[in-house]
Amino acid sequence: MAEGIAIARPQRWDRPFGPDMTDDDVARVLEQPLLRDIDPGQFPASLPLREIVRNDTRLRRFAPGDVIVREGDYGSSMFVIITGGVQVVTDGVDDAELGRATRKRPRTLFQALRQLWGNAGQPEVRDVARYFQGAGNLDLRGEAEDARTYLADVDAFLERHETVPLSDGAAFGEIAALARSPRTATVVADTDTEVVELRWQGLRDIRRRDAGFREHIDGLYRERSLAQHLREAPLFAHLDDAAIDDIARHTTFETHGTQEWFRDFKKVKGDDPSAVLGQEPAVAEEGHYLDGLIMIRSGFARVSEGLDQGQRTTGYAVQNDVFGLEEIVHHWRHGGPLAFRRSLRAIGSVDILRVPTALVERHVLPNAPADQLPEADAGGGEVTPAWLEQSTDRGLPQSLVDFFVDERTINGRAAMVIDTDRCTACDDCVRACASAHNANPRFKRHGPIHDGKQVTNACMHCADPVCLIGCPTGAIHRHESGAVVIDDATCIGCATCANACPYDNITMVEIRDGNGEFIVDEQTGQPIMKATKCDLCFDQLGGPACERACPHDALIRIDMHDQARLAEWINRK
Amino acid sequence: MRALATQRLRNGLLALAALAIVGAGVYVDHLALRDSSFLSGWLLVAAFVVLAAFNARKKLPFLPLGSAAGWLRLHAWLGLVTVAIFAMHGGWSWPGGGLEALLWGLFVALLVTGIGGLALSRLAPRPLTEHGERVLFERIPRYRAQLAGEVEDLVTAAIDEHGSSAIATHYSRRLRPYFARPRHVLRHLLGSHAPVRRLQRELRALERYLSASGRETLDAIEARVVAKDNLDYHYAWQGLLKGWLFAHIPLTYATAVVAAVHIVTAYAFAASTP
Repeated sequence: MAEGIAIARPQRWDRPFGPDMTDDDVARVLEQPLLRDIDPGQFPASLPLREIVRNDTRLRRFAPGDVIVREGDYGSSMFVIITGGVQVVTDGVDDAELGRATRKRPRTLFQALRQLWGNAGQPEVRDVARYFQGAGNLDLRGEAEDARTYLADVDAFLERHETVPLSDGAAFGEIAALARSPRTATVVADTDTEVVELRWQGLRDIRRRDAGFREHIDGLYRERSLAQHLREAPLFAHLDDAAIDDIARHTTFETHGTQEWFRDFKKVKGDDPSAVLGQEPAVAEEGHYLDGLIMIRSGFARVSEGLDQGQRTTGYAVQNDVFGLEEIVHHWRHGGPLAFRRSLRAIGSVDILRVPTALVERHVLPNAPADQLPEADAGGGEVTPAWLEQSTDRGLPQSLVDFFVDERTINGRAAMVIDTDRCTACDDCVRACASAHNANPRFKRHGPIHDGKQVTNACMHCADPVCLIGCPTGAIHRHESGAVVIDDATCIGCATCANACPYDNITMVEIRDGNGEFIVDEQTGQPIMKATKCDLCFDQLGGPACERACPHDALIRIDMHDQARLAEWINRK
Repeated sequence: MRALATQRLRNGLLALAALAIVGAGVYVDHLALRDSSFLSGWLLVAAFVVLAAFNARKKLPFLPLGSAAGWLRLHAWLGLVTVAIFAMHGGWSWPGGGLEALLWGLFVALLVTGIGGLALSRLAPRPLTEHGERVLFERIPRYRAQLAGEVEDLVTAAIDEHGSSAIATHYSRRLRPYFARPRHVLRHLLGSHAPVRRLQRELRALERYLSASGRETLDAIEARVVAKDNLDYHYAWQGLLKGWLFAHIPLTYATAVVAAVHIVTAYAFAASTP
């Protein structure tokens, strides 16, 4: 057998966040008020503070008017101002002000019908003139990943909005970095500003080891976001401010797992099941004392229970799911030991909130709406019925759940699942997609198949849309309809999103004019690229064309979190 | 999400109800001493328009015209109701003139291709899923060419390394034609595995002439023969799944034209009838 090529094992910091960080830069960052009190002695030799700063931070300079973060963008980093000042917009910013030309509402009936004769005869045709319309006050500077939008008339913009100024030493963006969630506000540079940007991996490691840093960051999160986060959770929605504040004060934040699920999950595909489980650290273990209700803040977790020598996957938990509620309710009603019935295992890296059990019993349960409480009491120690051993609580076939978890398709909020036992390969779905997208199909009708169910290569509009992380212009964003969409006008073709998508569901294309000629960069002559993907027909009447076009009831767009609906669809006869 | 069995029951009952209403209407028309063939004829035209509109719905996926699955169910059940109306219209007897015979023939052909296509759509997907890897129809030629290239490389290497004339001869006589294009389409449609088993037997028969490494080459070739057989299976069934519409849709157009002529002549002769 021919020998393979030997390479150095890939390491965490092979691609530093800021490749140009010098020793002086690292020293400057470490002098910042937020970091200067950290004791480097707390960090192991394999993970020194200085190297975290060197590899997980970068210095960025912004001119007045530069948009540093946009409300709604997906964040994975926080910022600390070194010099200068920024304005945080507190009253919301319209998409159009940020240069996005994405439709707000579906087309009219005539606009929809016009596609019958208005679609292009060539693939990927664009009307270039539209790129320069409606940008208004907004322009672009820099290239590729360093590209940023800026407001030509920042004063007029700031006059229109309510803002809060931040200056030297202040931190922002920690909420999105901690929860890997959408940015809650737009931040614009007010003057020439230098900031240090810390990506979430570094934030996690420093926070884990330094109590002072952790208290400061958690305090910011607690002060700015946690109470709101709890209020938005259905289980806590009925609580008054005093109860929410009490819970927020005692809730702890934890991160489990060390790897980025979206970079590493392909490595474990096909491995021995016990080896896969071995890479999933336990957040809570079956039979252990239940000290608090667990809320998933970001990431995914496998819910499992012991069966003989292995673990039987009974379900999965994603962002905003709670774990341990049934046991707490049982304890509150009947007393007895308080222990987890099942295990919760981190797939990749999972952030959780742990709400003390006593507070749940004191504040939440007495007046909780009936629909928020589990239907059946979860007594401890019951044996799984034999008929359930090959299916989960929701009636999903066991191997199919393992398949969904292993493929990480549980991330999908609108995953395209095809029942290959009904699909005749007529491609009506593909044709319908093309008709609804100017003659360009936005998905490929293939993908992993298990037990007659194919998870197709179409954007799943993920609960954790990692493709949104790092888009330099905010072109890819979550539309108010919930779909993850790309604004074609602001996409600069850097492929950051396409490279980030773990499912290969974003395609880079070369665009053409109406005559079918490639549109090229006037300086280099190279074709202009754009990122394309399924947009869930957010602007079409009637919803996703693919689903409606399937004559055989073989295709569904489904929220993988809705396990009851998924089971109903899979088990239909 | 309604269970498929419940849907079928509901649709069947609706179709029966529709048939009863239509039958009663035609019968009342007949009792009123009118020529009920005009009523049943126009009911047929209306049903035909709705049936043909399914294809139009497919061309307008961006309009909120309901799901294609719903349209197909309507198409199938209304198609069955139409058969009964057609029988009422024709007086439950064989057609008389040439035009009527042609129309009758076209209608029966439409019915047969429709029912056949529907049955195919319901029965073929599962075996396709269970038979090897599910491949895209359009990619089959590319995969076939890839397999053919791999086998050719294996045979060339066998000649270079072992001077194997047995494999080379077998390749030129049997394997090259086999990999050149889809084979045994009809046998695949009939569910026969005989062709591939024969090829495997022929390959195994060469074993006695080969060294150990030559037998490894043979194993590799056999794996590709089986993979090609899987491609042929998918080619045959997916081709049929796509192909039946090439009969059904042209028949629809032909039926529409002949029906139009039939309507004109029916009114022309009706007008001349005292």
